[in-house]
Amino acid sequence: MGEPNIPRAMQKPRQVGSDAPFVVGLGIIGSAYVLLIVAMIVADAAFTTPGHLLAALDSPQIRYAIKLSLISSSMTAVLSVWFAVPLGYLMSRSRFFGQGLTIESSAGSGMTTAWWLKGVFLRTLKHLLDAILDIPIVLPPLVMGLSLLILFRTPVGQAIEGVFPVTYAVPSVILAQFSVACAFAVRTMRVTFDQINPRSEQVALTLGCTRSQAFWMVALPEARRGILTAGTLAWARALGEFGPIVVFSGATRMRTEVLPTTVWLELSVGSIEAAVAVSLLMVMAAVLVLIVVRAAGADAGMPGVVQ
Amino acid sequence: MNRQRGGRINVGWMAFVLSVVVFAALVAVLAWKPRGQAQGTEPIVLYCAAGIRVPVEAVAKRYEQEFGVKIQLEYGGSQTLLAQAELSRKGDLYLPADDSYVAMARKKQLLDEVVPVARMRPVLAVQKGNPKGIRTLDDVLRAGVRLAMANPDAAAVGKVTREALTKAGRWEAVNKHTTVFKPTVNEVANDVKLGTVDAAFVWDVTVRQYPELQGIELRELEGVAAHISIAVLHNSARPIAGLRFARYLSACDKGLVEFKKAGFEPIEGDGWTERPEMLLLSGAMLRPAIEETIVRFEFREGARVNRVYNGCGILVAQMKAGQRPDAYFSCDTSFMSQVADMFMDIRDISGNSMMIVVPRSNPKQIRTLVDLGRAGLKVGLAHEQQSALGALTRKVLLEAGGGIYEAVRKNLAVESATGDLLVNQLRAGSLDAIIVYVSNTAASKEHLEVVAIELASASATQPMGIGRESKNKQLASRLAQAIRSAESRGRFVSLGFGWKVPAE
Repeated sequence: MGEPNIPRAMQKPRQVGSDAPFVVGLGIIGSAYVLLIVAMIVADAAFTTPGHLLAALDSPQIRYAIKLSLISSSMTAVLSVWFAVPLGYLMSRSRFFGQGLTIESSAGSGMTTAWWLKGVFLRTLKHLLDAILDIPIVLPPLVMGLSLLILFRTPVGQAIEGVFPVTYAVPSVILAQFSVACAFAVRTMRVTFDQINPRSEQVALTLGCTRSQAFWMVALPEARRGILTAGTLAWARALGEFGPIVVFSGATRMRTEVLPTTVWLELSVGSIEAAVAVSLLMVMAAVLVLIVVRAAGADAGMPGVVQ
Repeated sequence: MNRQRGGRINVGWMAFVLSVVVFAALVAVLAWKPRGQAQGTEPIVLYCAAGIRVPVEAVAKRYEQEFGVKIQLEYGGSQTLLAQAELSRKGDLYLPADDSYVAMARKKQLLDEVVPVARMRPVLAVQKGNPKGIRTLDDVLRAGVRLAMANPDAAAVGKVTREALTKAGRWEAVNKHTTVFKPTVNEVANDVKLGTVDAAFVWDVTVRQYPELQGIELRELEGVAAHISIAVLHNSARPIAGLRFARYLSACDKGLVEFKKAGFEPIEGDGWTERPEMLLLSGAMLRPAIEETIVRFEFREGARVNRVYNGCGILVAQMKAGQRPDAYFSCDTSFMSQVADMFMDIRDISGNSMMIVVPRSNPKQIRTLVDLGRAGLKVGLAHEQQSALGALTRKVLLEAGGGIYEAVRKNLAVESATGDLLVNQLRAGSLDAIIVYVSNTAASKEHLEVVAIELASASATQPMGIGRESKNKQLASRLAQAIRSAESRGRFVSLGFGWKVPAE
């Protein structure tokens, strides 16, 4: 970068004084949103007192909710990454695999129609998969919870409940969070793998790697920042999840109560102060965890990886 | 790319293995704690309307301390909870904010026992000090006064308010004037507290939860109230434990104390006893029809029903002499009306027709009432004063006319207090014919022959009432509920009784 023959517009704008108004303009527009967020938090803080915060921390119910929230969100984050990485990879590299299939099948004779049909089939499949993966994002959270509840009334669901209870128990919290959060992680992983040039994997293949080796040795390490983003996104999403949980897990104190449930329960008896105090605790915990994770991730950052 | 291939493999795999370890550790942390804490039995699951959380939470805590049984409380809107209970088929108890939801759940056959708890009234909430000077509904409708309502289709308070205002002819105006509809009562109360609206319809008990609010009684809402009942869910896996908590919650010296503290108007609840006892006086002819229902009732309630079966004349005499049963199931309306002032909630349960009964193959060829007057017959009748059957028999014979009554009285060999005794005497061979209820013959049909009496008056109606002075009114009401149930109906009908409980 920065060689003399590169056009001016592509050089770092900070080097040129006349770019300042542009940057300032961006800054003003951008900061308006940041200000809105900060202003809300400040308004919240003004509504509560340190006494309310301490009282909230002192309550065993709220301490349990904090614990369950942090643990369940973390489990959801790990689970989401486990599912999002293979899904995102498959979707991103589908054309690649499709080619592989076509080459094998058309090796005997040049069947162009079959080749074309296969392409159409794969594309349709991909669109369908895309649409299915959008469902958890589009559905109202309440409906997600309701659907889970209905799912566990089916014979299959009942069989699972026979082994270990899900509905209204702790596993339901994680399942409710996961079913929504994973969709966001998949989206992130998809974009991540889309933006990683498959060339390095292809090079690895030509050097004698199997596809599995290329994935573990090349694609996965290259996607590490994306994985981190997907994980934190899923974590944050899970922490704030409320709609499906209140339906599928109930709002049982000391059992399935997570922090959003606490906020709702406190609101339901009119103690807005306590609700706000708990919300602030949640914000603090979330900001702290996200900063630590991102900092840790950035330390081990690799070159040539998606932001 | 650098070529440390081995190192690269480790990065990918190590990250994955690490994530597995982290996940396992999280599972372990989650599973660890409950083992140390929670021991003992499964909790009782109670779906509780969010608006009545305060007293219920307190009662649940008391119960847990007293008996070590955990109550798991699920909060939500009454309607939402009902849907949840219906879908999941889990849970033991349902406590909505208004009776209408109980009726709805009943219709869907989701409920068993229903125990009334308390009442609350809708009021208009404004900020303390009433800054907008709102006194009447007209003030609410003034321009510039913002009004919040709980959605009438989702929340009980909205429903009750809408009904009352529709009756007063003001609903259209209020509906149009409402700034915002929200799903629960607490949300509209929060709106008033935050000042986003000036007034909202809430429960009187809601106002008590909010020191920042004040309630205004409106003329249009006078006498309007929501009735809170707790019900045992039909699909409950632990109905007995659930019902026990429902009894505790509705006991005047236990749960209702907390309700009163929270500003609710409690119903007249029974006192709490581990094993409640009640006294039932019942016409002897009803015994086969109700005995099994009572045994089951005792088992479910953990209660004891002391029952006295006898001829109704004797029972009435006992009551007139001062006995005060918790419930009375009379053989006939005529024996209820004599003591009607001692009972409330009197409802007809069953009917029973009277028959001429003779030994098998009818050796004396008795076909009508007139035949009973033939010389030389030995006839058994029920005692005219002691039993309803006797009184009704007298009425029927007199009504038949033609001196039949006098003729039959001449043949009278024995007068017994109950129809069952007469059946036994007939079977022992000491009588040629008797007049009893069809239900009296159910146990020994094969040894008897029945001759119908073609008179409309030859039947009795059995009403049941709850003692006005009873200390166990709720328990007695639930017994009456059990006797009115469909299951009980089958037992009555199989014995030949008619059924007089109107379908719900």
